[in-house]
Amino acid sequence: MALPVYVKRQREAPILSLANGARVAEMVVGGLLLISLFELVLHYNVADPNLWARYGISYVRGFWGTLGYIAFVLPVSVALGFAAGWARVSRHRLLAWPSAAYIDFFRGVPLIVAILFAFLYGVDFVPQRIQFFLEDALGVSASTLPYIMAALALAAHSGAYQAEIFRAGFQSIPRGQVEAGEALGLRHFQSMRYVILPQTFRLSLPPLGNELAVLIKDTSVLGAFGASELVGLASEFTQQIPISGGELVWQFAIWSAIALTYFVMTYLVTRVLRLLERRFRTPGLEVVSL
Amino acid sequence: MIRTENIHKYFGALHVLRGISLEVKRGDVLVIIGPSGSGKSTFLRCINLLVRPDEGKVFIDGVQVNRPEISPEWVREQVGMVFQSFNLFTHLTALENVTLAPIRVKKLPKAEAETKAQELLARVGLAEKAEAYPAQLSGGQQQRVAIARALAMDPKAMLFDEPTSALDPEYIREVLDVMTNLARDGMTMIVVTHEMGFASSVASRIVFMDTGLILEEGRPSDIFEHPKNERTRAFVSKILR
Repeated sequence: MALPVYVKRQREAPILSLANGARVAEMVVGGLLLISLFELVLHYNVADPNLWARYGISYVRGFWGTLGYIAFVLPVSVALGFAAGWARVSRHRLLAWPSAAYIDFFRGVPLIVAILFAFLYGVDFVPQRIQFFLEDALGVSASTLPYIMAALALAAHSGAYQAEIFRAGFQSIPRGQVEAGEALGLRHFQSMRYVILPQTFRLSLPPLGNELAVLIKDTSVLGAFGASELVGLASEFTQQIPISGGELVWQFAIWSAIALTYFVMTYLVTRVLRLLERRFRTPGLEVVSL
Repeated sequence: MIRTENIHKYFGALHVLRGISLEVKRGDVLVIIGPSGSGKSTFLRCINLLVRPDEGKVFIDGVQVNRPEISPEWVREQVGMVFQSFNLFTHLTALENVTLAPIRVKKLPKAEAETKAQELLARVGLAEKAEAYPAQLSGGQQQRVAIARALAMDPKAMLFDEPTSALDPEYIREVLDVMTNLARDGMTMIVVTHEMGFASSVASRIVFMDTGLILEEGRPSDIFEHPKNERTRAFVSKILR
């Protein structure tokens, strides 16, 4: 009976705190050290001013392109994954069955093949009226539409994996808690909103962070189809190095810079999720560490 | 207060309840005993419509509630329930467990709901555990929070589904004490339990159920000391030993 009195959970420090700034700085220094090591061995210089005078514009364009794809694909994939994960555990077969088919399909098809199909044929599935609307209202030209379809395929691919994460989250909530909610007079959607979802959210965060890191890096696959993003533009540029009078050793410098960029982006996203995880940590709902 | 008429329930081919009729008056404590699988829990769930009876009528305060026009949520506001496995919401503190339904269902202002929840937690002896999460509480404490949670809806009656059978022996007493006080305060209760001490001191009536039927009904002294039915006698002798 003499259990200690527990205090309400302490508020975590905000995401942009000094301690986190220090962590990021530490990581950047580590990355730079790693690159200097490569430079020593391979005799190239990532910060070569001659290189950046030529490649800089392409890098910046690629960087914003990649950020744009991430900004599009990340929320769409989470929305898709969440909806499909929810539908997957639904009692209604009309919801559960299509969701299962969707998950199985995208898990079974290589990402690059799924993107290829969407890129080549995806536009054919968009009704003309919507195509006109996209062009007139949002300025999406006919030539960018295939890239949007390709990005959607990427989101759908990741969404299928995220659906399984959310499904596991839903299924680990004991049925008795739903019954208890019902017995208190909560309506079905209230049980969902106040009992099930908050717990699913907490349980799904750690694996979700992992999947989002994969997704960020997978936007580079779009580059293979000529999308204007880091990897696509860089491979275009490296092919032209001999023609534009550059040194072949620039290849190492460019790909190192790109690797570092992705590293920083995935690190930041997983960091934010880790902080969310800590902020919502609840006794009895933590993922056990062995 | 609560009356059932000829309740039948089937799970597939299984005929779990075969015509249960009984009445509980205001302030009465009805204890249901019987072997496992006899339909006790299912019958309790028929009263607050967590399980819908296939046949028969359930009345609360004279109103038949198993009708399509009556929302089950309304029925569940009238009758609180406490479960064998507590079923506290893991992500909420004890206090938040108690305030959730009053805030979301009764639309009570948060401050008011919290004041009331504090009183209820004090009533079950857990005033200082308001900020603890279920995982930080013992089984007995969790079950007492669950009782406070049900009481927070101001139910007219309370259903208890084997509230102590998942508890370690040392925690049974504290839960039974809370229930005894509740009965003394005049709460109408239907309790499925095998705690014979509680049954004989608190129950106004005892019902013995087996194979989906009520086989015997009477005062605690009748059932425990002079059971008439063969199977009641066998069951009582087993659990009183």
